[in-house]
Amino acid sequence: MLRRLGILIAILGMTLNVASTADAQAGDADSSEYLIKAGFIYNFAKFVEWPSAAFSQADSPIVIGVLGTDPFGNVLDRIVEDKKIGPRGFVVRRYKWGKDLKDFKDCKILFVSASEKAHIDEILQGVKGLPILTVGETPGFAERGGVIRFTLEDNRVRFEVNVDAAHQADLNISSRLLTLAKIIPQTAATGRNPG
Amino acid sequence: MRSIGKHSGGAARSAGRTMLASFAAVLLAANLGAQSHQSVPDVTTLSMEDLMNMQVTSVSKRTQKVADAAAAVFVITQEDIRRSGATSIPEALRLVPGLEVARIDENKWAIASRGFNGRFDNKLLVLIDGRSVYTPLFSGVYWNVQDVMLEDIDRIEVIRGPGATLWGANAVNGVINIISKKAKDTQSGVVTAGAGSEERGSGGVRYGSKIGDTSYRAYGKYFNWGPSLYPTGMTAHDGWDAMRGGFRADWTPAGANSLTLQGDIYHSKYGETLTVPSLNAPYSSTFPNNGNYSGGNILGRWNHSSEGSSMSLQMYYDNTTIADNSLFVDHQNIFDMDFQHGFHVGDSQQFVWGLGYRSIRDRNDSSFSVSLQPNQVTLNHFSAFVQDEISLVNNRLRLTFGSKFEHNDFTGFEVQPNARLLWTLTPNQSVWTAVSRAVRTPALTEEGLRLNSAVIPPATPTNPTPFPAVVTVFGSHQFQSEDLLAYELGYRVQVTSSLSADIATFYNRYSNLRTAEPGAPFIEGSPAPTDIVIPFVASNKMSGGTYGAELFADWRVAPKWRLVGSYSYLQMNIQKNSDSLDPTPDNPNGSSPRHQWYLRSSIDLPKHFEHDTTLRFVDHLPSLSIPSYYSLDAHLGWRPVPRVEFSIGGQNLLDNQHLEFIPDFINTAPTVVKRTVYGSMTFKF
Repeated sequence: MLRRLGILIAILGMTLNVASTADAQAGDADSSEYLIKAGFIYNFAKFVEWPSAAFSQADSPIVIGVLGTDPFGNVLDRIVEDKKIGPRGFVVRRYKWGKDLKDFKDCKILFVSASEKAHIDEILQGVKGLPILTVGETPGFAERGGVIRFTLEDNRVRFEVNVDAAHQADLNISSRLLTLAKIIPQTAATGRNPG
Repeated sequence: MRSIGKHSGGAARSAGRTMLASFAAVLLAANLGAQSHQSVPDVTTLSMEDLMNMQVTSVSKRTQKVADAAAAVFVITQEDIRRSGATSIPEALRLVPGLEVARIDENKWAIASRGFNGRFDNKLLVLIDGRSVYTPLFSGVYWNVQDVMLEDIDRIEVIRGPGATLWGANAVNGVINIISKKAKDTQSGVVTAGAGSEERGSGGVRYGSKIGDTSYRAYGKYFNWGPSLYPTGMTAHDGWDAMRGGFRADWTPAGANSLTLQGDIYHSKYGETLTVPSLNAPYSSTFPNNGNYSGGNILGRWNHSSEGSSMSLQMYYDNTTIADNSLFVDHQNIFDMDFQHGFHVGDSQQFVWGLGYRSIRDRNDSSFSVSLQPNQVTLNHFSAFVQDEISLVNNRLRLTFGSKFEHNDFTGFEVQPNARLLWTLTPNQSVWTAVSRAVRTPALTEEGLRLNSAVIPPATPTNPTPFPAVVTVFGSHQFQSEDLLAYELGYRVQVTSSLSADIATFYNRYSNLRTAEPGAPFIEGSPAPTDIVIPFVASNKMSGGTYGAELFADWRVAPKWRLVGSYSYLQMNIQKNSDSLDPTPDNPNGSSPRHQWYLRSSIDLPKHFEHDTTLRFVDHLPSLSIPSYYSLDAHLGWRPVPRVEFSIGGQNLLDNQHLEFIPDFINTAPTVVKRTVYGSMTFKF
C-alpha cells in the first residue's frame, strides 16, 4: 500500500508541476463557441463594406451592439479591444429590447441574442433599410431578413448569409466571406415562423 | 430530445442544435463574465477558414448538452478516446460515470448501466451508426464482436436510464450510441501501428476522399492480443485476434436530400478455457477451447430535410456467425427498416414519429451443454413511436412525452411511454425529471434454451441415485417481458466558465425479473447413459427496486489543464417473490459495484506533449467474491508535427493484476487484468 501511495504522490506531483508550466503559456486551447463566434464577428467587420454615409467621420468606430442576453461575456470586448480596421476602432454596446430601441440603430453590427427569439421580426423590421449588419442565431433568422446567422455543424461554427437583406441594408459583402457562407434566400414575409 | 439520439435526426436535429447553441449562449453568458481576469486568445489573428475548422470544445459542448437533455446523458468525444489511450470500445466506455465495465477475460466483457451486470447483461441497448448490435439470442451484446476504426469515431453518446420510447425494447437501463464521423470529415489518410505487452500488435489504415458530391472512406484494421493469466498466475488461453474492414460513402448534393451507405466485414479468432459437464466420469471437463466469429453488415440511409421538418429512411442487413467450438454455433441474419419524420408545430412544439420493422433469422447448432429450440427460426418485430416536445414559459420549461408501441412474436404488444421535463432555472442551472416505462422482451434463449450447467455424479450425498443428475436450465414459452418503471431526477450547473457539474439520480422499480424455478425431475434415456434431469425453468418471479446517483464534474483548472471526476452510487434491493422457489443465491444485488469513482487529469505540455492520468476505484462485488480495486492508467502523447503522433500508455499501473468479474451461465475461466504498457504511432497524410 505504501508503495502504491508513493507512485500516486509522484504522479500527482508531476501533474501539479507541469500544470503550473502549462498555465503560464496561454494558447489556443480554449476554443469555446462564443470565442470562435467573436472571431467571426471581427472578420465580418473586415469583409463587409458599409456605405460611407453610415459613419459620421472617417475614423468613427464600428459599434457592435449585443441585443438581449449577452452570450459573449467580456470575450467580444477583449477580442476587439485596441483592434483597428483601417482608421476605425471598435466599441461594444449592450442593448435591451423595448428600452434601447432607438439606440441600437446607431450600431453597425447588431448581434441579436437567442433570448430575443420572440420579437425577431420586430427587430428586423426596426432596422430595415439602415446600414446595419444583423447577426443572429435563431433558426430562420436569415430567411426572415437577418443578414447573417450562425449555425453549428459537427461542432464547428458555420454561417448563413441572406444576400438580399445585405443589399437592402446597403452592405457590400466581400466574395471572400460569401464563398464560405451558405446563401439563404429570403422567404415571403407572410411565411410561417420556423421554430 | 432527438439530437441526443438516433443517428438519423436530420433537420429536426440541426434545428435542435441551433436552438442548443442559443441555449448555450444563454448559459455561457453569466460565466464568461466572471472570466475578466483571464487572458482571451486573440482569435482576430485567425483566418475565417481557421475559425471554421476550430471545433467547439467539450466544455461548451457539454454546455449545449446541459440545456439539451432531460436524461442522464454523457458524451465521450474523439479527443477523450484518443487521450485515454483506449484501444477498444469497452475500454473507452470506462470513461462514462457510473457505467460498469468489467473484463472477464481478454476477449469478454460484462458491461451494464445501473446494475444487473453480467456477460449476458440484457438491459443495455447498443447502436453503431443506427444499427442495433444487441443479439436476440440473449438480448445482450457480444462486446468482442463490436469494433470500429477508433480514429473515425465522432463520439459515443451514453444514456443511463431508460430510452425505450425512442429506441424500443431492451433500452431498459441504458443506451450506448456509437457515432462515426461523416465521410467528409475523414478526407485524408491515416496509418496507425502499435505494440504492447498485452495487445501485442495492431495496425490500421484509413483513406478518405471525394468524387463530385460524394465523400467516402475505407478502412482496414487488425489486432492481436496475447494471453492473460489465470488468478493462479499461470498463462491463460484467452488470446485473440481480429481483422476488420469497411467503408462509408455520403452523397450530399445541394438541396434537401442526402444518402449514406456504409458497411463492414470482420473475422476473429479467440481462445477461452471452458468447463462443460458430461454424463460420464469425471462428469465435467475443463479444456482450452477456441472459437471464431465473422460477419458483415451494410446500411443505407436517406435523409430529407427542409426548414422545420426532416425525414429519414434507414435500412440495414447484418449477418453474424458466432462459433464457440464445443459449445454452440449461431448464425443470424437481421434485416431492419426504420422510418422517422420530425417537424415543428408552431413555434414551440417539435413532433417526431416513426415506424420500424425488423426480421431476425436465427439458425444454430447445439452441443450437449447448450441447445436451443427451434434450431431455425424467423422472428418479426414491428414498432412505432410518437414523441412531442413542447417549450413552455419562454423556453425555460421543456416537456417531452411520447410512447413506443411494439409487437414481437413472444409477448405480443408492448407499450413503453415516458414523460420528461427540463426546467432551466437560471442561465447556468437546469433541473430535469422523467418517468418512464421500459420492458425487456424475451430473448430466444429464454424461450427455447436448454443449458446443462452441471452434472452431479451418481451415488453421492447430493445424488444418491445410480444415475448422473443433470442440473439443467430451460427456457419457457411462458416467459414474459421484464418490466421497469423508472423515476429520474437530475441537476446540472455551470458553476463558472471553467467548472461544470452534473448529478443524475434514479429510482427504478422492476417487476417480472427472470428467475429459474425448479421443476419436477425426470428420467431421460437418450443420449445414453440414462440420467436424471433436475430442471430449472425460466420464470418471472423476481422484483424490487434500485436507486442511485451519478455525479460528474469537469474543471478546466488552467487553459491547458483539465480535471474531470466522477462518483457513482448504486443500491439494489432485488428480491425473489414469495412464490419463487428459485434456490440460486446469485440474485443480481451483489454483482454490480456499490461505489465507483474516477479522477482524470489531462494536461497539454510544452513542445506538443500531452499527459493524461486516470485513477479509478471500483467497489467489491460481494456475490462474485471480487475484491474492490484501484486502477491507475497513464498516457503520454507527443505530436511533433500535426501529422504525426506518438503515444505510450500504461494501464493498471498500481497493481500487478486483479480480477474484475466472474462469468455467469457459461463456465469460462476468468483471467486477470495485468499491468500493461502500450505504444503506438499515428501518421496522417
